[in-house]
Amino acid sequence: MLKLFRYGFAELSSISQLSRCLSIGACSRAFTSQARRDPSETDEATAAINEGERLNLESDSTRTNSNADPHQNPYKNEMEETFAPFRFVYPEFLPDPTIKWRNRVREKLERMDMLKRRSNIDIPEFYVGSILSVTLSDRNAPGKTNTFVGICIQREGTAMRSMFTLRNVVDGHGVEITFDLYNPTILNITCLRLEKRLDENLRYLRDAPPEYSTFPFDMVPELRNPDAPVPINTLKVKLNPKPWHAKWQLWDLKGVEDFSHELESREWRKLNTWKFSEGYETAKYDLMKTYRSTIPAEEQTEIYSEVHQQLAKLTASLRKQKRKRTFVKPQKTV
Amino acid sequence: MTSTLLPSVRRTFQTGRGQLLQNAGVVGPLWKLGNLQFLLNGSNTAFGGSVTFIQTREMSKVKHRHTHPRHIWAKKRRERNDQELTDDNQSFLKKIIYDTYGPTTFDWRAENTGMPFVSPLKQIIHERGVWEPRSIRTGVIARKIGIHPMWDKEGKRMLTTLLQVTDNHVLKYIPPEVVQRNYGKRFTRQDVGLLLVGAESADPQRFTKEYLNLFEESGLPPKTKISRFMVTPNAKLQPGTPLFATHFKVGQLVEIFGHTIDHGFQGVMKRWGFKGMPASHGVTKSHRRGGNTGGGGEKARIWPGTKLPGHMGNRWRKLKGQEIVRINTKYNVLYIRGPAVMGEVGSFVTVCDTFMSSVETMDKSTIPFPTHYPEESEETIPEEYYVPNLFNFGEPSIVFEEKR
Repeated sequence: MLKLFRYGFAELSSISQLSRCLSIGACSRAFTSQARRDPSETDEATAAINEGERLNLESDSTRTNSNADPHQNPYKNEMEETFAPFRFVYPEFLPDPTIKWRNRVREKLERMDMLKRRSNIDIPEFYVGSILSVTLSDRNAPGKTNTFVGICIQREGTAMRSMFTLRNVVDGHGVEITFDLYNPTILNITCLRLEKRLDENLRYLRDAPPEYSTFPFDMVPELRNPDAPVPINTLKVKLNPKPWHAKWQLWDLKGVEDFSHELESREWRKLNTWKFSEGYETAKYDLMKTYRSTIPAEEQTEIYSEVHQQLAKLTASLRKQKRKRTFVKPQKTV
Repeated sequence: MTSTLLPSVRRTFQTGRGQLLQNAGVVGPLWKLGNLQFLLNGSNTAFGGSVTFIQTREMSKVKHRHTHPRHIWAKKRRERNDQELTDDNQSFLKKIIYDTYGPTTFDWRAENTGMPFVSPLKQIIHERGVWEPRSIRTGVIARKIGIHPMWDKEGKRMLTTLLQVTDNHVLKYIPPEVVQRNYGKRFTRQDVGLLLVGAESADPQRFTKEYLNLFEESGLPPKTKISRFMVTPNAKLQPGTPLFATHFKVGQLVEIFGHTIDHGFQGVMKRWGFKGMPASHGVTKSHRRGGNTGGGGEKARIWPGTKLPGHMGNRWRKLKGQEIVRINTKYNVLYIRGPAVMGEVGSFVTVCDTFMSSVETMDKSTIPFPTHYPEESEETIPEEYYVPNLFNFGEPSIVFEEKR
């Protein structure tokens, strides 16, 4: 545990760099779908958004950066920018982009159920890499409740199917539990440490030394300024020597120390072939691929403008409850 | 009836496969064409004059599935509309259609409530039969709109399939005598009539005259999907009566009919779950082949019923005894327990009461008979109905209490 902290959890110095990347992504998405936008809607939409409550997310540097950009896209919708951070905070409100599974009515009904559930339980903002504590009622446990603490290594699924996986090392054994986010047996979800990592999922922690995924069950939630941007942990994990659970060399991992000495020459050759065949280098220029695998910006705006008022109310009540909590003096970790 | 089938009447008729029967001089046997009565109801005018159907399908009983519509059905879709109309004329046509039928475009992809459009009836006459133990109600046509998990009050996860009842109206009632005359003893019960139900109004310009004539009697706009249901005479409904999701009750068992997903021509591994052959160890070019199909000697041939590659899916299937666990009355959605409902998202299924009387636990006399009339109900209908043991997301989290 102590060793883990020595790697440091300082905020990412180049956060502006990352946020610029994010805003570029938003730009390209808006650009791909600009032809279908009706400019007459813009004024009405902005008026509607001014009336309603907004989430206090202006402090996110995403907005300020994109506003300062001199080469701004003239077709950019102000509403889209307002709701841009929502897709990171509430990713499960966006439906599965696979076209053959989409249906507007079902998506709406699912969203209504999700909001109903959120009015009964505080589902905090969390990301892959955050440390969570989940309490759920268990018929077979003594006291009828069970608590698990661990690092979130994966978030998957959308809407009512959304799930997250927690990993911890208990008595020398790696334990992973996948929870349904909207499972009604969950009594409490607490984010003990809110931070992001450099990768989309941290499944490679299975092949890392146990200290990277060991967390005490009596961990105290860290205090943080709710308006501050979410820190990004640039920790580089050192993987165990092979054999691994997966071919991590194919995954283009950012949060892992260089493991090229682990690879044999035939693996290097195969890696290069794979990169060529998968379009590894050219995939980032494939606009249609991005368009098919994501929900268009207009639809995101439509969805979030529908639910944001209720979400804002819920977050407000969440903050009230937070203020009511008794102050716990943070302990020194080093 | 017979006068319309004279060979002197020459018309072209294109089948679903694109095979053109032109100027055919021979009429098939009359007993086969007698099935036309199902749609014509013994009148000459239903098809608006005369039409010849000259098709003989001797192999139709052998085939598992058909890639074209049945020969007794009227041709549905029009040829491509290449009338060069001006914008004024088009808007004039639209206006006339709107004046005649009211709104006719139901878009299931858009966010809709599934509520039926306004019925052409000024007043729905409730010729209500009295429920008897062996009476059969009509069913409804629904679209499968997706699957998502729900939980029961014990915290157990289940998958539910969502079926939306979209813009359903009753089109026609065919009494038992006519059914008897046309079908003979095809049905196990001799005292049943048929009820035609249509779903999802559409633009009349898209359909043929023969198809539009089916809606002439009821005064409804043409429907995208038509289905028929076996009903006893006491459950008959007036043409034009709208049907809702509240036709059913929560906790009721239903039967679901529909087409399975079309997988196309598939190999033996996907179609029948064969193991295939090893990936290496000298195996070449036969990793996914079925291997041996039989022995020698007297059996030296492919025996009937052998599992072989072929077309998979797109077959008519029925599910019995499916439970309705939740009903949304605002969007007309039925939640069925389990993910087993056939077809892709967006495909049509028909839902009707189950015939498995031994399994059904609900008292059938409490189910609305012959259907639910929302304008008659005195209390306001709640937006959602739940089965008692289903978790409602508006409730607090599930807590188990310790036994003492």
